[in-house]
Amino acid sequence: MSIELTHEPSVIEGRPALKTIDASIIKPMNNLPDKRFWAAMGLTLTMLGIGALALGMSFYRGLGLWGVNNPVGWGFAIINFVFWVGIGHAGTLISAILFLFRQKWRTGIARFAEGMTIFAVMTAGIFPLIHVGRPWLAGYLFPYPNQHSLWVNFTSPLLWDVFAVSTYFTVSFVFWYIGLIPDFATMRDRLANSTMVEKVKKTVYSVLSLGWRFSNRHWSHYEMMYLVLAGFATPLVLSVHTIVSFDFAVSIMPGWHTTIFPPYFVAGAVFSGFAMVQNALIIIRKVYDLEYIITLDTLEKMNKIIILTGLMVGYAYGMEFFIAWYSGHEVESFAFVNRAFGPYAWAYWIMVSCNVIAPQFFWIKKLRTNIPFMFIIAVLVNVGMWFERFVITVTSLSRDYLPSSWAYYVPTIYDIGILIGSFGWFFTLLLIFTRTMPVVSIAEVKAVVDGSQPTHHGLEHHSEEGH
Amino acid sequence: MESLKPKFWKSLNQYNQKPESLEAARNEFVNGATADFDLNALPDKSRRKFLALMGASGALAATACSDYHDKGEIITYNKKPASVTYGEANYYASTLNNGTGVLIKTREGRPVKIDGNPEHPISKGKISTVEQALIMELYDPGRLRYPIKKSDSKLVLYKDEMPRSEWEKIDTQVVEKLNQAVSEGKEIAIVTHSVISPTQNKLFNDFSSKYPNTKIYSYELFSDSQRRAAWYDAYGQESLPAIKFDAADVILSFECDFLGSEGDITEQIRMFSSRRDKDNPENFNKLYQIEGNYSVTGAMSDYRIRLTPENQYDFIMSLAAEIVSKGKSALASEGLNTLLSGYNLKSFSEKNQINSKVLNELVHDIIAKGNKTLAVAGIMHPKPIHLAINLLNEVLGSIPNVYDLNTKLELQRPLSSDKEIETLISNLNSGKVGVLIHFDTNPVYHFPTDSGYKAAYTKAGTIISMVESANESCEANQYIIAVNNALESWGDFKPRTGIYSLQQPVISPIHDTRQKEAVLLNWMSSDVNAYSHDIYHKYLMSHWETDIYTQSNSATGFREYWFAALHDGIALISENSGNEALQFNINAVNFNKFSFTKQNYTLILKPSYYIGDGRYANNGWLQEVPNPVTKSVWDNYAMMSPATAKELSVTYGEDKLNRVADMVEVSVSGRTLKLPVMIQPGMADKVIVVDLGYGRTTIGEIGRNIGFNAGELMSAKGGISPWMFTGVNVSKTEGQYELVSTQEHHSLDEEFVKDFHLKRHIINEYTVPFYTEFRKKYDAAKIRLKSEFAGDEEAYKKALKSEKIHLLGHHEYKTHSITPDRVYSDVKWAMAIDLNKCTACGACVTSCNVENNIPIVGKEEVSRGRDMHWMRIDTYFSGTPDAPVTSFQPMLCQHCDNAPCENVCPVVATTHSPDGLNQMTYNRCVGTRYCANNCPYKVRRYNFFDFRNDFADGYYRQDTLELLNNPEVTVRSRGVMEKCTFCTQRIQESRTEAAKNGRKIKDGDVITACQEACPASAITFGDMNNPESPVSGLREHPLGYFVLETISVKPNVTYISRLRNIVAEENHGEH
Repeated sequence: MSIELTHEPSVIEGRPALKTIDASIIKPMNNLPDKRFWAAMGLTLTMLGIGALALGMSFYRGLGLWGVNNPVGWGFAIINFVFWVGIGHAGTLISAILFLFRQKWRTGIARFAEGMTIFAVMTAGIFPLIHVGRPWLAGYLFPYPNQHSLWVNFTSPLLWDVFAVSTYFTVSFVFWYIGLIPDFATMRDRLANSTMVEKVKKTVYSVLSLGWRFSNRHWSHYEMMYLVLAGFATPLVLSVHTIVSFDFAVSIMPGWHTTIFPPYFVAGAVFSGFAMVQNALIIIRKVYDLEYIITLDTLEKMNKIIILTGLMVGYAYGMEFFIAWYSGHEVESFAFVNRAFGPYAWAYWIMVSCNVIAPQFFWIKKLRTNIPFMFIIAVLVNVGMWFERFVITVTSLSRDYLPSSWAYYVPTIYDIGILIGSFGWFFTLLLIFTRTMPVVSIAEVKAVVDGSQPTHHGLEHHSEEGH
Repeated sequence: MESLKPKFWKSLNQYNQKPESLEAARNEFVNGATADFDLNALPDKSRRKFLALMGASGALAATACSDYHDKGEIITYNKKPASVTYGEANYYASTLNNGTGVLIKTREGRPVKIDGNPEHPISKGKISTVEQALIMELYDPGRLRYPIKKSDSKLVLYKDEMPRSEWEKIDTQVVEKLNQAVSEGKEIAIVTHSVISPTQNKLFNDFSSKYPNTKIYSYELFSDSQRRAAWYDAYGQESLPAIKFDAADVILSFECDFLGSEGDITEQIRMFSSRRDKDNPENFNKLYQIEGNYSVTGAMSDYRIRLTPENQYDFIMSLAAEIVSKGKSALASEGLNTLLSGYNLKSFSEKNQINSKVLNELVHDIIAKGNKTLAVAGIMHPKPIHLAINLLNEVLGSIPNVYDLNTKLELQRPLSSDKEIETLISNLNSGKVGVLIHFDTNPVYHFPTDSGYKAAYTKAGTIISMVESANESCEANQYIIAVNNALESWGDFKPRTGIYSLQQPVISPIHDTRQKEAVLLNWMSSDVNAYSHDIYHKYLMSHWETDIYTQSNSATGFREYWFAALHDGIALISENSGNEALQFNINAVNFNKFSFTKQNYTLILKPSYYIGDGRYANNGWLQEVPNPVTKSVWDNYAMMSPATAKELSVTYGEDKLNRVADMVEVSVSGRTLKLPVMIQPGMADKVIVVDLGYGRTTIGEIGRNIGFNAGELMSAKGGISPWMFTGVNVSKTEGQYELVSTQEHHSLDEEFVKDFHLKRHIINEYTVPFYTEFRKKYDAAKIRLKSEFAGDEEAYKKALKSEKIHLLGHHEYKTHSITPDRVYSDVKWAMAIDLNKCTACGACVTSCNVENNIPIVGKEEVSRGRDMHWMRIDTYFSGTPDAPVTSFQPMLCQHCDNAPCENVCPVVATTHSPDGLNQMTYNRCVGTRYCANNCPYKVRRYNFFDFRNDFADGYYRQDTLELLNNPEVTVRSRGVMEKCTFCTQRIQESRTEAAKNGRKIKDGDVITACQEACPASAITFGDMNNPESPVSGLREHPLGYFVLETISVKPNVTYISRLRNIVAEENHGEH
């Protein structure tokens, strides 16, 4: 059998008719949810409820319910914040950066990843507001004209966060919405107008599609707009976690005060983001019969990115140690030795094994293309990346300059409850998303199906060669 | 005619100039509108009547429904008293119940802080940690609010509401009982603590003549009874002279914790520290601590010798023998050689493995310094050891030098002997005691369990407890007389020869209480119902008029004399101590050779550093001041050496999650107690030390069931001494217990984290010889550089600094900033702390707590690392587990010029002031905790809860405690960061004062609370921009350093390196 090596295999398996694509993507929105959906929803809502209860108690009594102490002033809340912002990186990376690099395989996963970005940032955004001691005054963090004639402090990285995260959220949201417009129009057009439900849905989709008519002029503007937004979003992917890393890097704490943090945080964010997209998509493609669009080949490509970013993260771990030793600064070197061999060594080694060792299995093609296996690895990567933030936040604070002020941080059930709640919130939003909007871009998929684009060899050339 | 018509008109009548219309226009108001308002004249349904009635009934309803009830005592300042100015504090000199002279700060008639009385010759303006915190006792919600007749044994004192009794009823009944006891020939027993008040003593005498069967018993859980007895045997004097710790060049302290828990520590710390002047290292005293315990005095010592208490007698005698054998004895007595035969220092030291270098040094020093050497033994030591100490001091010839023979430590009546207490108990048992009065005492808790007092006292005909708050001795059915706090009382105290200290009330009794002396006095009067609050005041004055004033040879009249004494809080009268001609009776020491056989474990029971004999257990501030050595709070425990712990296979704090301790069972001749273990490096092996004063069961809610009552191990028969036992069995037992400390300590052999305080230059220390040598070179360099850089002050300073760094063998760290340094053109506040003087007593911590309204958080919150102290004392150990070297460091906000907390706050809640303070704006703070994370000194404290609600179910919300707060300092709410402010409220007050006087604030105007309290005067505060100020001198001092200088945050707190008076091959500060 001859394989044409110069030719990229199709990103969509088979050669589905455009109608089939429409139907299979839109199916979840037209049918009533089944039991599996309600079971999943029940689970995520329970988790959300646990989180709400824990948070409510924390608001009522005070942050003392959490494990934070003196010297470890930041605990789960900040860890979760950094974790969720990190998760939010994959979407915009996939849809913007890979778009600019003309990576067609992104088509099947871009929409879903973008959605995840929005929800992850929505989850992350909660934490800076709830982690403050007086959340009812969290408004002070925003620069708005007020009667106190007080202004915010622009030298504080926490304030940079406010801008970085809100900008990132806004741009990602706009990008996501623009991409959705042609699909909303498709949904509008496919709906009958007979029942009351259909009428309501049709109205909603009509409004959301902003009068899209699939005209050439519309497409031309759309493509240009999409390109511009992709260009606009690209630096933001890099900037948001860079700025989040400044929360640590700008401080003077040993183990935080390092220049490697910005690239290291971005790599880690992409790493965990891909793992999370991987996890969710493996389930989605199965449940919604989208295996021919989100192909194994796509998953494998994502795994390759996971190896790459995993190696970057591993490099950063090593480099941190090297620099700590090379600096000759006693406190700094101790901070790193203490990470690996101090009281939090367990957390450090969980982090290293999940983030550095686990992805190495993906060098083997058989494992890289084994769906259950890659699911497990992706879960491990997420665990590892959560622990990375734990290690960074907690170990440095727990043993800093004065040995007299060292202390061990132990989370409480309220911390854990809020962490569970954040997953509940994220997945609840995600589940609603899968039933209300197309999780795969209908328009873009149609564009990458074999034969949908003109070629030099004529319309039928590929199919003769490939199939 | 036309022109007369008005141009503008309201009606045709006006236009036509009708007369009635002209008349109406002349009146401004319509007819009737200006008539007087008469409610009754108005029609029934008029609007005005309705509004008037509404208003009146509303006001009436509001008054009737409000909760205000006139309590009578509260008088608002309708007319401002002449002595009170709103917002300005008044200070009154007074005396606490232990005889300490104090100055009480009151605001609008409300006492808010207790400080030392500068006029007082003993405390000299300083008071101890405990005394600082006593302000809380006044407002303690657990205080009794009225007298009680407890006749229902089912009622539990601390749980149930006790029925209120009328004073008149109680008084009448008690007098009946007293008369009945007299007529039946039964004893009236008054159990009191030591009597240091002359007037109180006179009252007891008068009471005894009114009721002839009265017997007064006085006791203390801890006293210098053993030392007194030894002094009596050796010199035939009843009372001890005061010890001059500042007169000794060398101090040999045998288990004597004179800087921590025994004696008048304020005075002792001052005396000790006065010989630690960094600028006069030749004059440094040298402290040798020989102990089995690890006390704070041991931590401060230059050399420490681990030795179990039993062996210390032999050691003292061997030292005496060594001096005699070298022919250096100042005592020439025939009996001396016989007495010391058999003692040989060499064989003793070999047997007990005493470090020969240290021992040689010691022998060399005591021979060289001779009569400038003070040997002193701890009060827990038995009489024979104190006798041996007397002998050693005689051999050294130091008695006239190191004892203030003109000043006796006075007691108005000697403490009751064990025999007298025994008689009291047997009298109680045989029903011979008609009336038993606990005169502000708690004998049920204090007397050893096996004395049988607890069972016996219930057999007294009538029991009366005069107490501020209910205690264990109030459990039986009895009269519980609620008495005044010291701040509500009149009194006088004579702690030493010629020193009369006066007590005056600074607030009228908050509750329905009476002064205990007044109650007794009232029972002596013919008509008990004619009680008046000033009876004891009058009694006191008349006693002074007849007895004390007459001795004073004062030229003024009595009233002037009295008011002058009251104003100063003190009257000094020259008296003869009768101590001048001491005759040492060597035969007193010459009893059968005294030797303790070391069996099994040795137990030492010692007073707790802060809650004393348990009477302050309900004072949360004191429970939460960390033990200076172990840093633990809210507990007592069995302290033991690491080797002993290993032998018993017990551990402490191995688990990182909880600082859990294994439990041991300590048993002394059948008396047992289970205690958690605390491992303390440096203790002698097989020695167990336990603090007394814990495990109170009947007390306010703060102190109830905190720790373990080690009093249960005491015996009426005593051990080696009442507080020392040998032949003690200790074994590991079931269970574990969480001990909480404010500082994590690491095992000294843990290489991973060893000596970080030295490696990181948190603690800089040198030896006296090194520094003396350095100083010579440094002074020479000064002269050389001065001429080299003549006129160029800046260059001179820079060169001098690098010279200093070079001579000390340090590195110079150069840091560069991209922003220009801020210029402080006016005053700039700075602090300096002299680590030579600081003895970690904690007075600064409590003073800060009281001044700044710092909440108590409780044991559980401390265990989670949430203690709120703005000022803390860090303890670091280096060396080996057997011979640890301790370094103390008071740590507070360093007010860095480049404060790392400031730039990270997103809401500008922490900023820098033009006078150099790092300040917190509580209102602005949202609580991100970023500032605390970024603080390298970890001095910022966060309100994780509203501790005023959260601590002990809203303890702080109870009515009286609200009076405790300093009105000048904001009470912080939940979610807010706080920290040391350099007492900014005091700075503001001084600034206002200076402005009123038309000048600028200057150095010396402000004294911070910690500085004010420090008995050692280790803290200096002032304007560093003033080159003449003490603090700017200290910043330039060659021993001055900043903690963590390398990170360039530019702190404004300078530490003066500690000099250890040791001979060492290597300098301690170098690494």
